[in-house]
Amino acid sequence: MHLILFKVAAIFYLISSIIYLTFLLRSKGSRCLSGFAFVTAGLVAHTISIIHLFIAQGYFPMATGFDALSLFAWLIVAIHTILQLRDLNPVLGAMAAPIATVLMFAASTLSYQITQPIVPVLKSWWLPIHVSFALAGNAVFTIMAMAGAMYIFQERLIKKKKIGRFHRILPSLETLDTLNRRALPIGFFLLTLGIISGALWASSAWGSYWDWDPKETWSLITWFAYAAMVHQRLALGWRGKKAAVLALAGFALVMFTFIGVSFLFPGHHSFVSSAYWVVLT
Amino acid sequence: MTGETQDFLVLGINHNTAPVLIREKVSFPGNQDGSITRLLVQTQDVVECIILSTCNRSEIIAVVADADSSAENLINRISEIHGVNRELIRPYFYVKKGPEAVEHLFRVTSSLDSMVLGEPQIVGQVKEAFRRDAAANTTGPLLNRLLHRAFFTAKRVRTETGIALSAVSVAYVAVELAKKILGKLEQREALLIGAGEMAELTARHLTNVVKKPIRIINRTFENACILASQFEGSPESMENLGEALSSADVVISSTGSCDPIIQFSQMKTVMRRRRHRPIFMIDIAIPRDIEPEVNDLDGVYLYNIDDLQAVVDENIGERRIEAQKAGRIVDQEVRKFMNWTTSLEWAPTIVALKEKFEEIRINEITKMNGKLGSLSAAERESIEILTKAIINKIAHGPISFMKQSIKTKKINQHVDFVQRVFGLDEFVSGTEREEIETPNYEIDHRN
Repeated sequence: MHLILFKVAAIFYLISSIIYLTFLLRSKGSRCLSGFAFVTAGLVAHTISIIHLFIAQGYFPMATGFDALSLFAWLIVAIHTILQLRDLNPVLGAMAAPIATVLMFAASTLSYQITQPIVPVLKSWWLPIHVSFALAGNAVFTIMAMAGAMYIFQERLIKKKKIGRFHRILPSLETLDTLNRRALPIGFFLLTLGIISGALWASSAWGSYWDWDPKETWSLITWFAYAAMVHQRLALGWRGKKAAVLALAGFALVMFTFIGVSFLFPGHHSFVSSAYWVVLT
Repeated sequence: MTGETQDFLVLGINHNTAPVLIREKVSFPGNQDGSITRLLVQTQDVVECIILSTCNRSEIIAVVADADSSAENLINRISEIHGVNRELIRPYFYVKKGPEAVEHLFRVTSSLDSMVLGEPQIVGQVKEAFRRDAAANTTGPLLNRLLHRAFFTAKRVRTETGIALSAVSVAYVAVELAKKILGKLEQREALLIGAGEMAELTARHLTNVVKKPIRIINRTFENACILASQFEGSPESMENLGEALSSADVVISSTGSCDPIIQFSQMKTVMRRRRHRPIFMIDIAIPRDIEPEVNDLDGVYLYNIDDLQAVVDENIGERRIEAQKAGRIVDQEVRKFMNWTTSLEWAPTIVALKEKFEEIRINEITKMNGKLGSLSAAERESIEILTKAIINKIAHGPISFMKQSIKTKKINQHVDFVQRVFGLDEFVSGTEREEIETPNYEIDHRN
């Protein structure tokens, strides 16, 4: 049941992506309601699917790679939907929907089932707390990077005086920069909570707060990067293009920590010996 | 119904066919109550009539009995009303009939015939003309339907094409760009340096959106004061330029200075002071007021008049492409509308045909009443059903024969043929035809 809903959600995200992208190519009008309708329908199916999996398994579905990618996609779509409700923008949709689609299809290549008995460490309340914070932080940073990409692209068009007709469907530079300014502290706060909750969980599970496991190390590097960004933005008043470039650079780091580290380095966060792997930031 | 005799007619002059001198002679300023339309509708053979009068066009949209003679009669009437020589204005008039007239009205209402392609006012002007003349009782079922289809077409064009999306004047482009850079402009600050027609026009468009009073700097303070009173802005002297640049969000510069008044080095300092808060600078002056290198500074978006004009040209090109799409929508709607008017021509004949068959059926059943007396109610019911089915089957042939005529465009021949074969002349009202003997349609039920 949850798997059917998951597939329905993935297909809706895919349809929405196609609608959004063709809409951008034709660049007619400034709203794409059908694209938004499909991505929202996908979100509903996705939400029910996750709840259903939770009820079926009896613990938070956050233990496998499947869960992590699925939840990450869910968070991106959810945050995107909140932003869309404030001001429908086809370009934001055209970025969020394809990313969600890719994540969903990546997740579907992994097994959601745990073939071996679940590691006792994962049967803890810390699991949903730690994973939710970490993934929510990542999702906020993803949206921020999308805004940054739009900012850089549009800024270039305006500077070069090659306005074309594409600018009509992009939000104003001011809107995009405001998004960056508001999202940065929120994402940073969530990332901080993710790391702290991880440390507390580690302490209760293994008796030590910090083990310099690769994921922990890279998370800390990411944390410092975003801390620097917050400082530049708030204290030095960096804005506009610089802030947008930083958002993209930070996102690359986030993605490496999220996915790259799990493949490259074994550690607490990747239970590589079993049929599943955990990608906790 | 249109029958064979009623037709749509559009005649008029517009910015393409007539110079201003002629256009102003044939405008209809005193027609707020539709009284002039009422005068025109009294013209011989004119059945319904609307006057559309804007600064770029004066048009009569009418339903007439004879398009050719009515057109000349109407032009005579117009020259009488305006007291101008008919021969003087006649060459500037275009006359369109039937589908061409319908297409013309649809194009005008969709703003495809406007001086500025896609400008939004025209549909409102047509609506107002229609409302006024409908209130003056000069319209009837045909024009009512025609105008509603015109508004529907205009709406389709607006929503299905991008014809009205892009700005096509320098001032509008400037405001659009300001919005693109700065978002909402209400609480932004505008600064006007110098004066000049284009600069003032742009400032006027800008102050429509910007709620804060515009700051105005001029080399002579008196001139700044004069402009400030026009714009309800605040005048400042040239010494305040640096400070004004630090706080303004949109700058329009148009002085007669020979050397740039805003240099790169000065602007660099200003931007540092602004912490690179974005600023949109419009340089309308020739020679330039602002050094072009300023555009390289982070957060500065500098456009000169040529840059803005290039955007305008590009947008106009885009509107032309969209106008082609719009043309296809208009064609579709004209075809639909003409099909509808054609259906008016066979509709009465279909009604007459059915009435005639029903009459025959009732007559024949009444004749047989004596023999059928012994039948039960249920059996009588069956006979009713049976006879109705028979006449429906028979009627089907001629009806579809007439409907098919839409494709072959021989509607009148087909309708006429059906009327003659079934002797429907007495049933169809309003057709002029010589009396022919109604054939005897007694159907022999005994066989």
